[in-house]
Amino acid sequence: MKKFLSLLLIVMLAIGMLAVAGCGGNEEEPAQQEPAAEENTITKLVVGSETAYAPFEMVDEKTGDYIGFDMDIIKAIGEAMGAEVEIRSMEFTALIPALQNGQIDCAISAMSITDERAEVVDFSDSYFDAGLIIAVAADTEGIETMDDLKGKVLAAQIGTIGADACVAVQTEDPATEVKTYDHVGEAFMELQKGGADAVVNDMPVTAYYVKTEASDKVKMVGEVFQADDHYGMPVQKGDTETLTLLNEGLAKIKADGTYDAIYAEWFK
Amino acid sequence: MIVVKNLHKSFGKLEVLKGIDCHIDQKEVVCVIGPSGSGKSTFLRCINRLEEAQQGQVFLDGEEVTAPNADINRIRQEMGMVFQLFNLFPHKTTLENVTLGPIKIKGMSEEQAEDIAIKLLRKVGLGDKDHVFPAQLSGGQKQRVAIARALAMQPKVMLFDEPTSSLDPEMVGEVLEVMKDLAHEGMTMIVVTHEMGFAREVGHRVFFMDEGILMEEGTPSQIFDNPQNPRTQSFLSKVL
Amino acid sequence: MNLGFTSTEWIFGTIILDRLNEIHGFQVVANNLGNFAMGAVLTLEITLFSLLIGMVLGLIAALGKMSNNQLIKFVAVAYIDFFRGTPLFVQILLLYFGIIPLIFDATPVQAAIIACGLNSGAYVAEIVRAGIQAVDKGQMEAARSLGMTHGQSMRYIILPQAFKIVIPPLINEFVMLLKDTSLVSAISAHELTHTGKMLYASTYQAVWVWGAVCVFYFIMTKAISMLGDWTERRLATE
Ligand SMILES: Nc1ncnc2c1ncn2[C@@H]1O[C@H](COP(=O)(O)OP(=O)(O)O)[C@@H](O)[C@H]1O
Ligand SMILES: [Mg+2]
Repeated sequence: MKKFLSLLLIVMLAIGMLAVAGCGGNEEEPAQQEPAAEENTITKLVVGSETAYAPFEMVDEKTGDYIGFDMDIIKAIGEAMGAEVEIRSMEFTALIPALQNGQIDCAISAMSITDERAEVVDFSDSYFDAGLIIAVAADTEGIETMDDLKGKVLAAQIGTIGADACVAVQTEDPATEVKTYDHVGEAFMELQKGGADAVVNDMPVTAYYVKTEASDKVKMVGEVFQADDHYGMPVQKGDTETLTLLNEGLAKIKADGTYDAIYAEWFK
Repeated sequence: MIVVKNLHKSFGKLEVLKGIDCHIDQKEVVCVIGPSGSGKSTFLRCINRLEEAQQGQVFLDGEEVTAPNADINRIRQEMGMVFQLFNLFPHKTTLENVTLGPIKIKGMSEEQAEDIAIKLLRKVGLGDKDHVFPAQLSGGQKQRVAIARALAMQPKVMLFDEPTSSLDPEMVGEVLEVMKDLAHEGMTMIVVTHEMGFAREVGHRVFFMDEGILMEEGTPSQIFDNPQNPRTQSFLSKVL
Repeated sequence: MNLGFTSTEWIFGTIILDRLNEIHGFQVVANNLGNFAMGAVLTLEITLFSLLIGMVLGLIAALGKMSNNQLIKFVAVAYIDFFRGTPLFVQILLLYFGIIPLIFDATPVQAAIIACGLNSGAYVAEIVRAGIQAVDKGQMEAARSLGMTHGQSMRYIILPQAFKIVIPPLINEFVMLLKDTSLVSAISAHELTHTGKMLYASTYQAVWVWGAVCVFYFIMTKAISMLGDWTERRLATE
């Protein structure tokens, strides 16, 4: 038994050391490599995105390309700033760790700017104003507000502010059950098969899903809430160079009408 | 008691039994000899239908064993079989090996089955080995347990397929001794064997098989002292 | 509560603990040990029930595959081939979102057990079949020659011997199954991996959270294989 405990301790310690080493590396690298104030030297942006969140990001069924509002925005920014854009598709919950490890330069993935996230990454200026909405099965009555969700079965995507909102309801009323999935599509499937009473998710995405996939089976109810929900593009903490590029590019495409054209294409 | 008519058996294209005809009387001991691969085992296994013959019939006491609707599980209870490699049940004790059949097949009570089993084990000289597992027995002991196991079903006939061929020479005698006792008690026996001494001494009749054919049959002295068939002569000249 | 450490070891341990407490990731793991434990318990529950279903189905399917009845054989082979020939992850999604809702309203955990049980049954079937075929052919002949039916021979002679042969591969399957249950996190069964996903999504402590999840899985798989070794040793002496 003693042997086993010490073995366990060693394993824990080894993992701890790995973690410390990993963090240390991250903190030092940018500091050492950052060149003294130079012009925009970035010629290529590696961009992470969870490409299963229509209409912001999705895979074109015919061509296999990544398309969507976010994709058009980041490509337009890249064009405006003379940087090549490469999209890396990954799980939503993997985006921030990937930034921290330097596997990607930035992410664009309908990511809400929150205080918790802002502690571990830096966000660009907001490029989209969203908010949450409740979706229920077409024949459901009596659910309109977050209060109505108490004691119900709720579905959401892991790591989204929609999931946070569901957990908040559960904290108030422990009879509430929260089911969370890797992709929002599975949350909607759960709703349609009757395994959940409501899905809490970003309004534009839910609207797009209802419109394109399930107009007769799923409906949105109530008002948009948490309307101070703004999407931003995260970069590694302290990476001012990429941040500047994103903000300048965003300003440019907003000024020249490109942004409005893209917005109109996806949301009108 | 046993009648075999025109028995044919092939494995794929290989014809192993090419029409066997014979009859064996009650209390008779028949020894089957012949070169390896001549079909002796297959002949024995066709009698209790461990192998299905393609053509021909086998009768036991007038009942057709080979009939499609024959109750083969009941018929097999009346034909005990002893294998070259013993095939004892390794997960059962010696006693359980012997009692399993009577209990599970005949529905005998445990006490009654054990009574019979103990008597049989004593008879084969293993009365003290009842709670031992087969792995702890010598080859000769294993084969004697196997004989007791077959006898526990109180069969009318015993089929032996080279019961001493995989034994060390010093153990052959103890097994043959048990078989000799059995013969003297009047058990009907068909014994495939290479023990010519046993065939001559205990056998009432000897069958010589070669290439799937029953080439010659007769009393031991006819076969061993005065074989007619040239094949029998050449076989015996090699083994004697 | 001295856990058998000497006082020097103990002091050394406390110093390490103090240092670790300054690390955010360690705190995340330490504060959520209860959640990990709950996830681990559910993982174990899903695994055990799945294995139970898998053993029953596996035995039936193995006998079915060796049956002379062509229809039974076909069904058994189709079942085994399908569940071995497609990914468990996809089976979980298909069963939970597609097929089970047509039959009854299953909770994620129930669906997880059904999916893992069906999948495990196919693997157990092949293990059992190999075990049965590894039993010497002479055993069946000896049993039949006494007058046992095929079923009796299987039950009293072949299966008890096959059972010993299949213990090691079955323990192996147990361990594989336990690891594979991590896939049911996709249907929101709140087992160990799902616990990890949730915690990771809110803390981004990849190394600490997934490291802790690994430690929990490892403890469970190690315990199972130790149990397996013990069983094997006991059976061997019998
Ligand atoms: N199950 C089987 N499948 C194919 N061939 C077999 C089988 N059993 C026996 N044989 C063949 O049949 C022939 C006779 O075998 P067998 O009856 O065992 O001979 P014996 O017992 O006289 O040595 C041999 O050529 C052997 O290879
Ligand atoms: Mg032979």
